Amino acid sequence: MTRRDFLATSAAAGLSVSLHAQEADAETKTLEAALPLIAAVQQHMFPEAGSLPSAKAMDAVTFLKETITHGSYDRDIRRFVIEGAQELDRRTKGKFLTMNHAKKEAALRSYEESRYGSNWLTRIMTLTMEAIFSDPIYGSNIGQKGWKSVGSSGGVPRPKERYIAL
Amino acid sequence: MKHFDAVIVGSGASGGAVAYTLCRAGYRVAVLEKGRLIRREEFSKDELAYCRRDIVTPCLFDEYHLIEEKVGEKWVATPTYESGWSFWNGNIVGGSSNLMSGMLHRMHPDDFRLKSKYGEIEGANVVDWPISYEELEPYYTMAEEVVGISGLAQKHPFAPWRSTPDFPQPPTKENEVVKLFDKSCRALGITPLVTPRAVLSKEKGHRNACYYSNFCGSYGCSSGAKGSSTEALLFPALATGKLTLMSHTYVKSLESTKEQVTSVVVIDTVTGKESRITADIFVLAAQAHESVRLLLNSKNRHHPNGLSNSSGELGKNLLFSAGGSGQGELHRESLKGIGFEALMERGLFVNRSILDWYYIDHWWDGRFKGGSVEFMFEHQNIISRACKNNEEGGKLIWGKALGERVAKRFKESKSIRFEIFNDWLPNDDCFVTVDEAYRDKYGMPVGKLRIAGHPHDLKVGNYLAKKCEAVLEEMGAKNIYSSVSSLPPQNLIAGGCRFGDDPKSSVLNKDCRSHDIPNLYVADASFMPTGGSVAYTWTIYANAFRVADHIVRDLSET
Ligand SMILES: Cc1cc2nc3c(=O)[nH]c(=O)nc-3n(C[C@H](O)[C@H](O)[C@H](O)COP(=O)(O)OP(=O)(O)OC[C@H]3O[C@@H](n4cnc5c(N)ncnc54)[C@H](O)[C@@H]3O)c2cc1C
Ligand code: SF4
Repeated sequence: MTRRDFLATSAAAGLSVSLHAQEADAETKTLEAALPLIAAVQQHMFPEAGSLPSAKAMDAVTFLKETITHGSYDRDIRRFVIEGAQELDRRTKGKFLTMNHAKKEAALRSYEESRYGSNWLTRIMTLTMEAIFSDPIYGSNIGQKGWKSVGSSGGVPRPKERYIAL
Repeated sequence: MKHFDAVIVGSGASGGAVAYTLCRAGYRVAVLEKGRLIRREEFSKDELAYCRRDIVTPCLFDEYHLIEEKVGEKWVATPTYESGWSFWNGNIVGGSSNLMSGMLHRMHPDDFRLKSKYGEIEGANVVDWPISYEELEPYYTMAEEVVGISGLAQKHPFAPWRSTPDFPQPPTKENEVVKLFDKSCRALGITPLVTPRAVLSKEKGHRNACYYSNFCGSYGCSSGAKGSSTEALLFPALATGKLTLMSHTYVKSLESTKEQVTSVVVIDTVTGKESRITADIFVLAAQAHESVRLLLNSKNRHHPNGLSNSSGELGKNLLFSAGGSGQGELHRESLKGIGFEALMERGLFVNRSILDWYYIDHWWDGRFKGGSVEFMFEHQNIISRACKNNEEGGKLIWGKALGERVAKRFKESKSIRFEIFNDWLPNDDCFVTVDEAYRDKYGMPVGKLRIAGHPHDLKVGNYLAKKCEAVLEEMGAKNIYSSVSSLPPQNLIAGGCRFGDDPKSSVLNKDCRSHDIPNLYVADASFMPTGGSVAYTWTIYANAFRVADHIVRDLSET
């Protein structure tokens, strides 16, 4: 998805191109508040007892948080991740976390009907794939379990620092 | 103010080749590179950092391009920070050459005289080159030796002639899939050829042989086997004691009188401090689109339309590589002739190309210039492969079904891919300008690239794609698809400073020296009036060595 795609189809709240300093603090708070819901979506997509390790076992949500708040991550997409979670929360009237599997499935499939929802779910899936299959130095893919689950392993030499020590 | 015999802007393939020759000839050279140095021992196979984030390229909010495409009848310019479509390719010491896959080809002798050989094509600004293959051949050979290109000399009607019997190094090791590939080609009456590669199969001086790391393109090389500018050219140049390699040095513009360039204005990207560097000769090697931008941004009262632009041709006839790519899956259960374990062996190359369709002369298909084709495994990046094709009926697959699908893709199949290279015909709708309203973080106008391919390019690309799909079919591949479009590959850029004999219709003379300003050279691919039907980098290396010899001649006369 290009920025153009999701900017054009963003929810009513919209996305501003530039972030002011004081907004950054507020953004951190809203991200923290959205994390449990994001973790639940990740876990729904990557459950226990599948061929791949689960999002929870790989602590994919911590990876997501650290990744999207890192300087190398596109700030508009960071905002989109947060706002998309807020939108899902609104649609499910704050009940997503307590829903059973079938209801969660229905809620996410309904969200996916909108282009905005579909883009957001794709973004969460990509971030979770990045967690499970990145080098373990980024905190997920614990014990290389992501790589092992697909009979693969990363290249050598492995990184000694995250992001080439940016 | 520091003064050098020559200042080179950009430390990539072309800048490195010029620095190598000049330093070895005893001249004091400064190479100015805006990126940082990443040493051999610092490179890693970190997919997240190298392939999924802008870390070896600038953040697009800081430095970007404007890309102008035709939407309906209108030209619409979109900054790349909006689209995410980066036109940076590697902005570290050594440039993009650190990250290339190193599949190299010489251009065919007929590529130097496209117009006289194949005639005009309506809507395309095809011209002959002012030099011939004969003039460049010694430098192709020099690049083979100095950069370290492994390969196998094979007879083929479209293989350019060579002055040495064979490559300095034998080909790199190959995956067993080549048995299946070669057999399938022969069954179709096609001649498979070994791809020359800027990868050492054996150790060479300070550089080790390739250890088949499985992650070559888009990554830096940890053994020095890849023929990057850093390993092959800059280190030997540094060893002469004549090279001052300045990383973190962004060149804003060149200052000039009417007759000569006097200095470059640079910013230290760490401190933000601005300064000037002077030299007798100035060489641009910033990659085609950026060298043009620098010349345009250097306009002054003597040269109001930019340096070296008295012809009005500066920036025009920008080239990419036309073509496209395609892919098919080899599945465990239907694999023919080779063992699945052998197919799955990591790291070994496919190393195969086809030149049979470089020129088409067929009773039914007609007569036209075709192109070359490269076969390789799908890039082995794990995240990107895991993320592919996880949709069905427009809906994402998740949960257990997703896990099973991804695990099967990795464990039960391997995809083989082809890339097509045909001429990107130079045309009036493909050029570089600058837009004063859009500036990078250093305050300089960014390059605005209007991009349009000629319809003929698509016709040729589609023709070649069908041929390649037939090869994959013969190999027993499943789910074969290809995509040929007029969107350019951002990593293969040329043109914009055409060389030619006539100062009225070209920017550079045949030595790649500015027609207008005698102490200004451009050494990267921007000199190319037509691009040939192969990836550019061997030609970039060769031509930069050729240009360097002219500069040495110049310097020895002053
Ligand atoms: C992933 C990838 C795979 C590739 N694979 C192949 C392949 O298989 N075969 C092939 O033939 N080619 C391949 N290429 C292309 C090849 O890398 C380029 O053709 C070649 O490196 C271009 O050389 P250059 O000197 O023009 O530019 P570069 O090597 O890109 O060097 C230009 C340098 O100039 C610097 N620079 C630019 N502007 C400024 C400024 N204002 N101030 C200071 N410094 C500046 C840049 O930071 C950069 O380091 C590949 C490229 C990539 C990215
Ligand atoms: S070791 Fe070989 S495969 Fe790996 S990056 Fe270097 S040249 Fe490429």
